[in-house]
Amino acid sequence: MADFDPKVLAFLCNWCAYAGADLAGVSRLQYPSNLRTVRVMCSGRVDPAFVIRALREGWDGVLVGG
Amino acid sequence: MTRRLLDLAGIGRERLHLAWVSSAEAQRFAGVASEVIAAVKEKGPLDVKTFETALAACEMTVNTETVRWLVGKEVKITTKGDVYGRKWTAERYEEVLNAALEREYHKNLIYLAIKEGGCFSVREVSEKTGLGMKRVSYLLADLEKTKRVEFRAMQDRKPVFAAL
Repeated sequence: MADFDPKVLAFLCNWCAYAGADLAGVSRLQYPSNLRTVRVMCSGRVDPAFVIRALREGWDGVLVGG
Repeated sequence: MTRRLLDLAGIGRERLHLAWVSSAEAQRFAGVASEVIAAVKEKGPLDVKTFETALAACEMTVNTETVRWLVGKEVKITTKGDVYGRKWTAERYEEVLNAALEREYHKNLIYLAIKEGGCFSVREVSEKTGLGMKRVSYLLADLEKTKRVEFRAMQDRKPVFAAL
């Protein structure tokens, strides 16, 4: 499994985690590039159904960040 | 709740992560991202084909009325009490939610087994879903009541069901 590159979908809150991710980029911190982000206005917007749907569509993992 | 459901479906809770990162914590975000990737990497790729039915049942389950109401009312029934004025402890709530999740998930599994394979007897459904026959016939009665499954005919003295 050494060369397995997981696809992880990240739901990030516009005000918290998304800004945090942005700052991480701005301050040139290294973090894995396997995350694909979806910006939501609040992590409360994320429905369990979104998570299941993401997995059904072939994502290996999901991160909800608030 | 969703993580518990993923466990129940055999997909594994390691595939869903929840983290609180404030906008000023870039370092923390980078840490969380690495942790999540590492955890998912350990689980390996998700084989969508194997879990297709399980995931379909999960999706139906999180959209079930019972589950959605329970989750939505969590704070109210554990702090103010339910409509009968009974206040539930957090443990009691968890217990009820877990039971509801399991029941709805199993019901959806049975429903999908019947729907995808046409008509089935209790034994066939039990073999296909891996649930006990007693559990299947108990939940089938539930599905029949809510008009999701219908009793079709007797075949060799076995009742045969069809999904609506």
